[in-house]
Amino acid sequence: MKMDDLAVLAPQMAAGASPEVFQQLGLITRQLHDTLNQLGVMPKLQAAADGLPDARSRLSYIAKKTGDAANKVLNSVDMAKEEHQRISSETRRIAQAFIKDPVKAVASGAVLNFVGDVEAATDRIDRHLTDIMMAQDFHDLTGQVVAKVVALASDLEDSLVKLLVQAAPLEQAQRVESAILNGPVVNPEGRSDVVADQGEVDDLLASLGF
Amino acid sequence: MSNPTDMKFLIVDDFSTMRRIVRGLLKEIGYHNAEEAEDGAIALTMLKNAKFDFVVSDINMPVMNGFELLSAVKADDTLKHLPVLMVTAEARKEDIVRAAKDGAAGYIVKPFTKATLEEKVQKIMQKLAATA
Repeated sequence: MKMDDLAVLAPQMAAGASPEVFQQLGLITRQLHDTLNQLGVMPKLQAAADGLPDARSRLSYIAKKTGDAANKVLNSVDMAKEEHQRISSETRRIAQAFIKDPVKAVASGAVLNFVGDVEAATDRIDRHLTDIMMAQDFHDLTGQVVAKVVALASDLEDSLVKLLVQAAPLEQAQRVESAILNGPVVNPEGRSDVVADQGEVDDLLASLGF
Repeated sequence: MSNPTDMKFLIVDDFSTMRRIVRGLLKEIGYHNAEEAEDGAIALTMLKNAKFDFVVSDINMPVMNGFELLSAVKADDTLKHLPVLMVTAEARKEDIVRAAKDGAAGYIVKPFTKATLEEKVQKIMQKLAATA
Protein backbone atom coordinates (compact mmCIF):
# COMPACT_ATOMS: atom_id res chain seq x y z
CA MET A 1 0.00 0.00 0.00
CA LYS A 2 1.30 3.46 -0.94
CA MET A 3 1.03 6.74 0.91
CA ASP A 4 -1.50 8.00 -1.71
CA ASP A 5 -3.78 5.04 -0.95
CA LEU A 6 -3.54 5.83 2.74
CA ALA A 7 -4.63 9.41 2.07
CA VAL A 8 -7.79 8.13 0.38
CA LEU A 9 -8.50 5.46 2.98
CA ALA A 10 -7.76 7.49 6.07
CA PRO A 11 -10.93 9.64 6.09
CA GLN A 12 -13.06 6.53 5.53
CA MET A 13 -11.30 4.68 8.35
CA ALA A 14 -11.42 7.71 10.57
CA ALA A 15 -15.18 7.71 10.50
CA GLY A 16 -15.30 4.31 12.24
CA ALA A 17 -12.12 4.31 14.32
CA SER A 18 -11.75 5.29 17.95
CA PRO A 19 -9.33 8.05 19.09
CA GLU A 20 -7.23 5.38 20.89
CA VAL A 21 -6.41 3.70 17.57
CA PHE A 22 -5.10 6.97 16.15
CA GLN A 23 -3.13 7.61 19.31
CA GLN A 24 -1.55 4.15 19.06
CA LEU A 25 -0.77 4.68 15.38
CA GLY A 26 0.85 7.99 16.18
CA LEU A 27 2.99 6.39 18.88
CA ILE A 28 4.20 3.60 16.58
CA THR A 29 4.95 6.11 13.82
CA ARG A 30 6.94 8.26 16.24
CA GLN A 31 8.97 5.25 17.43
CA LEU A 32 9.70 4.19 13.85
CA HIS A 33 10.67 7.71 12.91
CA ASP A 34 12.99 8.06 15.91
CA THR A 35 14.66 4.73 15.30
CA LEU A 36 15.29 5.41 11.63
CA ASN A 37 16.45 8.87 12.52
CA GLN A 38 18.90 7.42 15.01
CA LEU A 39 20.25 5.05 12.38
CA GLY A 40 20.64 7.86 9.89
CA VAL A 41 22.31 10.34 12.18
CA MET A 42 24.79 8.05 13.81
CA PRO A 43 27.96 8.76 11.84
CA LYS A 44 30.07 7.22 14.60
CA LEU A 45 28.23 3.90 14.21
CA GLN A 46 28.79 3.97 10.46
CA ALA A 47 32.46 4.87 10.90
CA ALA A 48 32.94 2.13 13.48
CA ALA A 49 31.24 -0.45 11.25
CA ASP A 50 33.51 0.59 8.38
CA GLY A 51 36.53 0.14 10.61
CA LEU A 52 35.68 -3.43 11.67
CA PRO A 53 37.63 -5.28 8.94
CA ASP A 54 40.65 -3.13 9.78
CA ALA A 55 40.20 -3.87 13.48
CA ARG A 56 40.04 -7.59 12.71
CA SER A 57 43.39 -7.50 10.93
CA ARG A 58 44.89 -5.39 13.73
CA LEU A 59 43.69 -7.87 16.32
CA SER A 60 45.11 -10.76 14.28
CA TYR A 61 48.42 -8.92 14.17
CA ILE A 62 48.38 -8.50 17.96
CA ALA A 63 47.48 -12.16 18.49
CA LYS A 64 50.34 -13.24 16.24
CA LYS A 65 52.94 -10.93 17.76
CA THR A 66 52.03 -11.79 21.35
CA GLY A 67 51.81 -15.51 20.57
CA ASP A 68 55.22 -15.48 18.87
CA ALA A 69 56.74 -13.56 21.78
CA ALA A 70 55.28 -15.92 24.38
CA ASN A 71 56.57 -18.98 22.54
CA LYS A 72 60.01 -17.41 22.07
CA VAL A 73 60.22 -16.65 25.79
CA LEU A 74 59.05 -20.11 26.83
CA ASN A 75 61.53 -21.78 24.45
CA SER A 76 64.37 -19.66 25.82
CA VAL A 77 63.35 -20.42 29.40
CA ASP A 78 63.29 -24.15 28.64
CA MET A 79 66.79 -24.01 27.14
CA ALA A 80 68.18 -21.82 29.94
CA LYS A 81 66.72 -24.20 32.53
CA GLU A 82 68.43 -27.14 30.82
CA GLU A 83 71.77 -25.31 30.93
CA HIS A 84 71.21 -24.46 34.56
CA GLN A 85 70.38 -28.04 35.39
CA ARG A 86 73.54 -29.21 33.59
CA ILE A 87 75.72 -26.78 35.59
CA SER A 88 74.10 -27.94 38.85
CA SER A 89 74.73 -31.62 38.18
CA GLU A 90 78.29 -30.95 36.94
CA THR A 91 79.00 -28.92 40.07
CA ARG A 92 77.84 -31.77 42.27
CA ARG A 93 79.93 -34.24 40.28
CA ILE A 94 83.14 -32.19 40.42
CA ALA A 95 82.63 -31.48 44.13
CA GLN A 96 82.44 -35.21 44.84
CA ALA A 97 85.54 -35.83 42.74
CA PHE A 98 87.36 -33.05 44.57
CA ILE A 99 86.39 -34.42 48.00
CA LYS A 100 87.43 -37.93 47.00
CA ASP A 101 90.83 -37.03 45.58
CA PRO A 102 91.70 -33.32 45.13
CA VAL A 103 95.08 -33.95 43.54
CA LYS A 104 93.64 -36.32 40.97
CA ALA A 105 90.74 -33.95 40.23
CA VAL A 106 93.13 -31.13 39.39
CA ALA A 107 95.80 -33.22 37.73
CA SER A 108 93.34 -35.02 35.46
CA GLY A 109 92.12 -31.70 34.15
CA ALA A 110 88.57 -32.34 35.42
CA VAL A 111 88.49 -29.06 37.36
CA LEU A 112 89.79 -27.04 34.44
CA ASN A 113 87.32 -28.71 32.06
CA PHE A 114 84.54 -27.92 34.52
CA VAL A 115 85.52 -24.25 34.61
CA GLY A 116 85.51 -24.13 30.82
CA ASP A 117 82.09 -25.85 30.65
CA VAL A 118 80.60 -23.42 33.17
CA GLU A 119 81.90 -20.46 31.21
CA ALA A 120 80.41 -21.79 27.96
CA ALA A 121 77.10 -22.61 29.62
CA THR A 122 76.78 -19.15 31.21
CA ASP A 123 77.44 -17.59 27.80
CA ARG A 124 74.57 -19.63 26.34
CA ILE A 125 72.29 -18.73 29.28
CA ASP A 126 73.13 -15.08 28.73
CA ARG A 127 72.07 -15.38 25.09
CA HIS A 128 68.78 -16.99 26.14
CA LEU A 129 68.19 -14.12 28.58
CA THR A 130 68.89 -11.62 25.83
CA ASP A 131 66.39 -13.44 23.58
CA ILE A 132 63.79 -13.20 26.36
CA MET A 133 64.46 -9.49 26.69
CA MET A 134 64.22 -8.95 22.94
CA ALA A 135 60.98 -10.92 22.71
CA GLN A 136 59.32 -8.17 24.74
CA ASP A 137 59.47 -5.84 21.73
CA PHE A 138 55.95 -6.98 20.89
CA HIS A 139 54.72 -4.73 23.66
CA ASP A 140 55.83 -1.57 21.93
CA LEU A 141 54.63 -2.76 18.52
CA THR A 142 51.23 -3.91 19.64
CA GLY A 143 50.61 -1.13 22.19
CA GLN A 144 49.85 1.42 19.53
CA VAL A 145 47.64 -0.97 17.62
CA VAL A 146 45.75 -1.86 20.81
CA ALA A 147 45.04 1.83 21.46
CA LYS A 148 43.49 2.24 18.00
CA VAL A 149 41.35 -0.88 18.33
CA VAL A 150 40.22 0.16 21.81
CA ALA A 151 39.13 3.55 20.46
CA LEU A 152 37.22 1.88 17.63
CA ALA A 153 35.59 -0.63 19.97
CA SER A 154 34.66 2.16 22.35
CA ASP A 155 32.96 4.14 19.58
CA LEU A 156 31.11 1.07 18.38
CA GLU A 157 30.03 0.16 21.90
CA ASP A 158 28.76 3.67 22.60
CA SER A 159 26.73 3.75 19.42
CA LEU A 160 25.31 0.27 19.85
CA VAL A 161 24.38 0.82 23.49
CA LYS A 162 22.54 4.03 22.56
CA LEU A 163 20.73 2.20 19.77
CA LEU A 164 19.84 -0.75 22.01
CA VAL A 165 18.58 1.48 24.81
CA GLN A 166 16.53 3.42 22.25
CA ALA A 167 14.94 0.29 20.82
CA ALA A 168 14.54 -1.80 23.99
CA PRO A 169 11.40 -1.79 26.18
CA LEU A 170 11.81 0.49 29.18
CA GLU A 171 12.18 -2.28 31.77
CA GLN A 172 14.93 -3.97 29.71
CA ALA A 173 16.80 -0.84 28.71
CA GLN A 174 18.54 -0.56 32.07
CA ARG A 175 19.85 -4.12 31.77
CA VAL A 176 21.34 -3.67 28.31
CA GLU A 177 24.61 -2.02 29.29
CA SER A 178 25.67 -4.49 31.95
CA ALA A 179 24.69 -7.50 29.84
CA ILE A 180 26.94 -6.64 26.91
CA LEU A 181 29.99 -5.91 29.03
CA ASN A 182 30.61 -9.46 30.30
CA GLY A 183 34.12 -10.96 30.06
CA PRO A 184 37.41 -10.55 31.88
CA VAL A 185 37.00 -7.79 34.46
CA VAL A 186 39.53 -5.02 34.04
CA ASN A 187 38.35 -2.74 36.85
CA PRO A 188 36.69 -4.71 39.67
CA GLU A 189 36.82 -1.77 42.11
CA GLY A 190 33.41 -0.66 43.32
CA ARG A 191 31.59 -3.62 41.73
CA SER A 192 29.75 -6.16 43.83
CA ASP A 193 29.09 -8.67 41.04
CA VAL A 194 32.72 -9.63 40.46
CA VAL A 195 35.71 -10.74 42.51
CA ALA A 196 38.97 -8.79 42.62
CA ASP A 197 41.38 -11.59 43.48
CA GLN A 198 41.77 -15.28 44.34
CA GLY A 199 41.10 -14.56 48.03
CA GLU A 200 37.60 -13.36 47.20
CA VAL A 201 36.99 -16.45 45.07
CA ASP A 202 37.96 -18.65 48.02
CA ASP A 203 35.80 -16.64 50.43
CA LEU A 204 32.80 -16.86 48.11
CA LEU A 205 33.17 -20.61 47.67
CA ALA A 206 33.66 -21.08 51.43
CA SER A 207 30.49 -19.09 52.13
CA LEU A 208 28.62 -21.53 49.88
CA GLY A 209 30.06 -24.51 51.72
CA PHE A 210 32.54 -25.57 49.03
CA MET B 1 47.43 -44.62 42.65
CA SER B 2 50.78 -45.33 44.34
CA ASN B 3 52.43 -42.00 43.64
CA PRO B 4 50.35 -38.82 43.23
CA THR B 5 53.00 -37.32 40.95
CA ASP B 6 52.17 -40.05 38.41
CA MET B 7 48.74 -38.53 37.96
CA LYS B 8 47.82 -37.65 34.41
CA PHE B 9 46.51 -34.14 33.82
CA LEU B 10 44.47 -32.80 30.92
CA ILE B 11 44.95 -29.07 30.37
CA VAL B 12 42.12 -27.46 28.38
CA ASP B 13 42.58 -23.93 27.03
CA ASP B 14 42.18 -22.35 23.60
CA PHE B 15 45.44 -20.42 24.08
CA SER B 16 48.50 -22.59 23.53
CA THR B 17 50.57 -20.20 25.62
CA MET B 18 48.35 -20.68 28.65
CA ARG B 19 48.35 -24.46 28.16
CA ARG B 20 52.13 -24.35 28.06
CA ILE B 21 52.36 -22.17 31.17
CA VAL B 22 50.01 -24.43 33.16
CA ARG B 23 51.92 -27.48 31.95
CA GLY B 24 55.23 -25.88 32.93
CA LEU B 25 53.93 -24.97 36.38
CA LEU B 26 52.53 -28.46 36.95
CA LYS B 27 55.93 -29.84 35.99
CA GLU B 28 57.64 -27.56 38.50
CA ILE B 29 55.14 -28.63 41.17
CA GLY B 30 56.03 -32.23 40.44
CA TYR B 31 53.39 -33.44 37.99
CA HIS B 32 55.14 -34.36 34.76
CA ASN B 33 52.36 -36.29 33.06
CA ALA B 34 50.06 -33.90 31.18
CA GLU B 35 48.31 -33.60 27.85
CA GLU B 36 46.58 -30.66 26.21
CA ALA B 37 43.28 -29.90 24.46
CA GLU B 38 42.31 -26.65 22.79
CA ASP B 39 38.58 -26.76 23.54
CA GLY B 40 36.00 -28.69 25.55
CA ALA B 41 34.93 -30.96 22.69
CA ILE B 42 38.47 -32.16 22.02
CA ALA B 43 38.98 -32.59 25.76
CA LEU B 44 35.83 -34.69 26.12
CA THR B 45 36.93 -36.99 23.31
CA MET B 46 40.36 -37.37 24.91
CA LEU B 47 38.81 -38.08 28.31
CA LYS B 48 36.64 -40.82 26.82
CA ASN B 49 39.53 -42.42 24.94
CA ALA B 50 42.27 -42.39 27.58
CA LYS B 51 42.60 -42.46 31.33
CA PHE B 52 43.15 -39.09 33.00
CA ASP B 53 43.22 -38.26 36.70
CA PHE B 54 42.77 -34.48 36.73
CA VAL B 55 41.33 -31.79 34.44
CA VAL B 56 42.43 -28.16 34.44
CA SER B 57 40.06 -26.17 32.24
CA ASP B 58 39.54 -22.64 30.99
CA ILE B 59 35.93 -21.39 30.63
CA ASN B 60 35.84 -19.17 27.54
CA MET B 61 36.65 -21.45 24.63
CA PRO B 62 35.22 -22.02 21.16
CA VAL B 63 33.16 -25.10 20.18
CA MET B 64 32.56 -26.27 23.75
CA ASN B 65 33.27 -23.97 26.68
CA GLY B 66 34.46 -24.92 30.15
CA PHE B 67 30.98 -24.99 31.69
CA GLU B 68 29.73 -27.31 28.96
CA LEU B 69 32.75 -29.55 29.44
CA LEU B 70 32.21 -29.60 33.20
CA SER B 71 28.53 -30.55 32.75
CA ALA B 72 29.42 -33.26 30.24
CA VAL B 73 32.06 -34.73 32.55
CA LYS B 74 29.74 -34.74 35.56
CA ALA B 75 26.91 -36.28 33.50
CA ASP B 76 29.08 -39.17 32.36
CA ASP B 77 29.21 -42.09 34.81
CA THR B 78 32.69 -43.05 33.68
CA LEU B 79 34.09 -39.54 34.03
CA LYS B 80 32.17 -37.89 36.86
CA HIS B 81 34.78 -38.88 39.46
CA LEU B 82 37.36 -36.66 37.72
CA PRO B 83 38.26 -33.44 39.54
CA VAL B 84 37.88 -30.39 37.28
CA LEU B 85 39.79 -27.27 38.29
CA MET B 86 38.60 -24.14 36.50
CA VAL B 87 41.37 -21.67 35.60
CA THR B 88 39.84 -18.63 33.96
CA ALA B 89 39.76 -14.87 33.50
CA GLU B 90 36.04 -14.90 34.36
CA ALA B 91 35.83 -13.11 37.70
CA ARG B 92 32.04 -12.76 37.93
CA LYS B 93 30.57 -14.22 41.11
CA GLU B 94 27.73 -15.88 39.21
CA ASP B 95 30.32 -17.83 37.18
CA ILE B 96 32.18 -18.93 40.31
CA VAL B 97 28.93 -20.03 41.98
CA ARG B 98 27.79 -21.80 38.82
CA ALA B 99 31.10 -23.67 38.54
CA ALA B 100 30.88 -24.79 42.16
CA LYS B 101 27.25 -25.91 41.80
CA ASP B 102 28.03 -27.74 38.56
CA GLY B 103 30.69 -29.77 40.35
CA ALA B 104 34.00 -27.99 39.78
CA ALA B 105 36.66 -29.05 42.27
CA GLY B 106 38.20 -25.58 42.40
CA TYR B 107 38.28 -22.17 40.74
CA ILE B 108 41.33 -20.03 39.96
CA VAL B 109 41.15 -16.56 38.43
CA LYS B 110 43.80 -15.38 35.98
CA PRO B 111 46.35 -13.98 36.43
CA PHE B 112 47.44 -16.51 39.02
CA THR B 113 50.66 -17.59 40.69
CA LYS B 114 52.44 -20.91 40.88
CA ALA B 115 51.67 -20.94 44.62
CA THR B 116 47.92 -20.63 43.96
CA LEU B 117 47.92 -23.45 41.43
CA GLU B 118 49.98 -25.65 43.72
CA GLU B 119 47.73 -24.94 46.71
CA LYS B 120 44.52 -25.73 44.79
CA VAL B 121 45.90 -28.89 43.20
CA GLN B 122 47.22 -30.17 46.56
CA LYS B 123 43.93 -29.38 48.26
CA ILE B 124 41.99 -31.32 45.62
CA MET B 125 44.49 -34.19 45.87
CA GLN B 126 43.98 -34.34 49.63
CA LYS B 127 40.20 -34.43 49.21
CA LEU B 128 40.55 -37.22 46.67
CA ALA B 129 42.82 -39.18 48.99
CA ALA B 130 40.37 -38.72 51.87
CA THR B 131 37.42 -40.02 49.87
CA ALA B 132 39.32 -42.89 48.21
